[in-house]
Amino acid sequence: MIQVLKILCAVALFFTLAPVSARADDRDVIEYRQHIMNTLNAQAAALGMILSGAIPDDNAIAHLQALALTAKTALKAFEPKVQGGEAKPDVWTNWPDFAKRMNDFAQKSAEIGKLANEKGKDAAMANVLDALPCKSCHDIYRSEKKN
Amino acid sequence: MIRALRILASLALVFAVFLPMTASADDQDTIDYRQDIMKSMGEQAAAIGQILQQKAPPDNFAVHMQILAISAAMAKKAFQPKILGGEAKADVWEKWPDFAKRLDELTAATADLAKTAAAGGVAATAPKIQAALTCKSCHDLYQEQKKQ
Repeated sequence: MIQVLKILCAVALFFTLAPVSARADDRDVIEYRQHIMNTLNAQAAALGMILSGAIPDDNAIAHLQALALTAKTALKAFEPKVQGGEAKPDVWTNWPDFAKRMNDFAQKSAEIGKLANEKGKDAAMANVLDALPCKSCHDIYRSEKKN
Repeated sequence: MIRALRILASLALVFAVFLPMTASADDQDTIDYRQDIMKSMGEQAAAIGQILQQKAPPDNFAVHMQILAISAAMAKKAFQPKILGGEAKADVWEKWPDFAKRLDELTAATADLAKTAAAGGVAATAPKIQAALTCKSCHDLYQEQKKQ
């Protein structure tokens, strides 16, 4: 009887711990959203270099378009509730707030992309920081270097 | 006199051999910038690969293709300054006409894929991808792996 209880406890413990470690499919989910966030990071870094005058602004409009499109894909990638990578559990426990921030980001970056197309890169770059609320969201929802 | 010549020779060696290999702050910006673009392309290609393998949902497929096309179109400009460093081999600039031609072809191919993806989704685009995304053939010639 004690032996059976021990086995049942072990099985229960296994299922309790299982959600903590990502399965193969879960790893795909984590990697997919990381591809998107890494693209956002690279595009934002490029725009930062243009803003600081470190590199020419020839590609400014294209970067703004790439940023806006990437922002549009991000929310979908976080929909599966799979913990891991740099995402804090708060992403899913505070989902309405997280989703609202992602939607705001996608909308603002799209507006800047539109502004770039209509009024040119100078007008868009002057307002680009409004479209990049990266830090305020990362402060709440991202665990740095937790891969 | 011999001592002076030795010092001059050492200085000449430093300027001739070592300085061009060390990226200045401005040069590092150039390297970082092209790496940001190549990183975007790599991440988007990986996301597309996951969708093709059904390891990620297909909802964003056409958008990933569009981002890849936009990034590909930016790449040549980022490599125009002849600054060695990062993972770029010196051949990028020594064989610039070939390198530039390959990037132009990639730009045209990804633009076509993006158009196909927008109209026909994964099913219409998948058969064209392998021939169009020639990343490896170019990396084999022009990319130094893990040399940062």
